[in-house]
Amino acid sequence: MTTWEGLLYGIGFALQPGVLVYCVLGVVLGTFVGVLPGIGAMAAISLLLPVTYYITPEAALIMLAGVYYGAQYGGAVASILMRLPGTPQSAVTALDGYPMVREGRTGVALFAAMASSFAGSVIGIAVLVMLAGWLSTAATAFGAADYAAMMILGLVAASTIGTGQFAKGFAMVTLGLLLGCVGTDVNSGVQRFTFGQTELLDGINLVALAMGLFGVAEVVANVQDPDRQGVVERIGFRRMLPAWADLRQMGWPTLRGGALGSFFGALPGTGSTLSSFLSYAMERRVARRPERFGKGAIEGVAGPESANNAAAITAFVPTLTLGIPGDPIMALMLGALVIHGIQPGPLMLEARPEMFWGLVASFGIGNLLLLILNLPLIGIWVAMLRIPFRWLYPAILVFVCLGVYSVRGLTFDIVAVAAIGLAGYLLALAAFSPALLLLGFVLGPLIETNLRRALLISRGDPMVFLERPISAVFVVATIALLLLSLWQAWRQRRNARADRREAA
Amino acid sequence: MRRDWPDICGGLALTAVGLLACGWALAEYDLGTLRRMGPGFFPAILGALLAALGLIVALPALGRAGMPARVAPRSAVAVLASIVIFGFGLPRLGLAGATAASVLVASLPAPQPGWTWRIVLMVAITLLTVLVFSVGLRMTLPVWPRLP
Repeated sequence: MTTWEGLLYGIGFALQPGVLVYCVLGVVLGTFVGVLPGIGAMAAISLLLPVTYYITPEAALIMLAGVYYGAQYGGAVASILMRLPGTPQSAVTALDGYPMVREGRTGVALFAAMASSFAGSVIGIAVLVMLAGWLSTAATAFGAADYAAMMILGLVAASTIGTGQFAKGFAMVTLGLLLGCVGTDVNSGVQRFTFGQTELLDGINLVALAMGLFGVAEVVANVQDPDRQGVVERIGFRRMLPAWADLRQMGWPTLRGGALGSFFGALPGTGSTLSSFLSYAMERRVARRPERFGKGAIEGVAGPESANNAAAITAFVPTLTLGIPGDPIMALMLGALVIHGIQPGPLMLEARPEMFWGLVASFGIGNLLLLILNLPLIGIWVAMLRIPFRWLYPAILVFVCLGVYSVRGLTFDIVAVAAIGLAGYLLALAAFSPALLLLGFVLGPLIETNLRRALLISRGDPMVFLERPISAVFVVATIALLLLSLWQAWRQRRNARADRREAA
Repeated sequence: MRRDWPDICGGLALTAVGLLACGWALAEYDLGTLRRMGPGFFPAILGALLAALGLIVALPALGRAGMPARVAPRSAVAVLASIVIFGFGLPRLGLAGATAASVLVASLPAPQPGWTWRIVLMVAITLLTVLVFSVGLRMTLPVWPRLP
C-alpha cells in the first residue's frame, strides 16, 4: 500500500461513525483534563483503560491518543489564561502566554497556541508517516539482542534525560522491571512473587497499577487545593484574529518547533515535555531581541506549542513500528493494545493497516476538531477551571474503583489500587517518578524475554550484544548516556561545593 | 543537623525491597545459566541493582539539607479508606451503599466546612453511579445492601 492509498484508506476508516465518535470523545475529554490542573493525561488514560475492553482495539487506540493530544491543547489554555499549567508539557507556554493576557492580548495568545499546535501536529503526522514506513522495513532486521539493547537504551534515556537525579529515576525503572516479574514466568511456568495469591498469576494488573499510581496519588495530592476564583474576560471571536505582524512572527517558530518536536518525540525516552522546553530555549537564542521573552513574545507561545504537539504524534513511531514505547504514556497505550492481544511491531503496518492508517488519519481529524471546537468553546473551558476540585474527586475515586472492578470482577483489584495508591503517594512525596516505574513495568517482560532469547541463541555468550551492529550502536549509546549523566552529577556536586565555599 | 529525609527514607526503602526480592529469588527460584536463564535470574539481578541504587540515593542524602516533604496525612487516609471501603463494601452493601459510604468518607478532608454539600454530593454521585453503571451499562452488581 502506498502512502497516499494508506492515508485515503485511513481517512475512510476513521470517518466511520463508530470510530469517529471515540475520536471526538477522546479529544473532548483530553481537553477537559488538560484544562483541569491536577489531573494529567496519564491519569485520564489510566481511568479510560477499562473502557477499552468494551470497544474495538482500533477505536480504543484512537480514543486514548485523542486524550493525549487533546490534553496538550487544554493544558495550553490553562497555562495561558491562569498561569496554571494543566500539563507539564505546557508549563513553558505560561512564560509568555500569561504576560500576553496581562497585556490584553488574550485572544491572540490563544489563537497562537491553537494554530501552532495544529501546525505542529501536521508536521508530526508527516514525519510519522515517513519514518514509520522506513522504520518498519528496517525493523525486520532486528533480532532479540537488538530489541533488548534498544529497550535498555530507552529506559536509561528516560531516567537520565529531564530528571533531576539519575539514581532516583533509574531506581524507579528498576522497581518497575521488578514488579513486571510478578506472575507466571513465561519460559518455565514458575510462579514468581505471587505468594499463593491466585489473583497475581497473570501478574500485577496494569489497570490497577496505573490507576493507583496516577489517579489515586494525584487525587491525594490535590484534595487540599483551595477553590480557584479567577475572573476571565469573555473573549469574542473577533478579538482572536491576530494582526498580520503576529502571523509573520509566528511562522518560523512554529516550523522550527514542529521539526524539533518531531525529532525528539520519535526518540525513545525523551518526549514532549523536553521538546517544548528546548523549543523555547531555541526561540530565545535565535530571536533578534531576546529581552522580549517572558514579557509576552508570541514566539514563546508558538514554538513550544508546535513542538509538544509534534512530539506527541511522533512518539507513536517507536510504539507502532517496533512495539517499544518511548515514554510512560506510550507504555499505557501499548498496554491497552496488549489487553486486546495485539502486540505492535514491524508487521503491524501490513497485518493491521486499519490500525496504523486509521490512527494516523484520526490524528489529523482530531486535531482539526480541536482547532474548530476549541476556539468557540474557550468560554466553557474557562468556566470549568472554576469547578472546585472537592466536587470532582469523590466521583473520580468511585469511577476508579468501578473501572478497575469491571476489568476482572475481583474486589481484590480495588483493594490493590488502594495499596498501590499509598505506595505511589509516598514515592511522589519523596520525588520519585511513578511514570518511570510504569515504563519499566511495561517493558520488563519484553526485555526479559528478548534478553533470554538473545543469550539462548548465542549459547550464553554476552558478546552477542557487541557483535551485532544494531545492538552495538544501542549499547554504545547507553554507555555514553550513563557516562554523560555521571559527569553532569559530578559537575553539579563540584559547583554546589564551590557555592558553599563562597557562602562560608 | 538537617538531612534530606525523603531521599534517605525512600532510598533505604528501595534497598530493603531490592534485598528482599533478590534474596527471595535466590532462595526460591532456579537461577539457571547465562545460556539458559532460570526464572530467578532476572529478578535476582534486578533486586541487587535496586538495592545498590537505593543506597546511591540514600547515602549522599545523609549529608545535605533537603526540602521537607509536604505530607497530607488526613487526605491520604480518607482517600485510601474510601477505596478500601468500596472494595470490601461492594459485595455486602451493594453498589448504592458502597458508593455512598466511600463518597462520604472521601469528602471528609476537603477544605470546606459543613455537611450540606457533602450530603448533596453523596446523593448526586450515588444516583449518577447507579444510573450509569447499573441501568446504563448493565453491570451485574447488587445495587442495594444485602439484608442478613
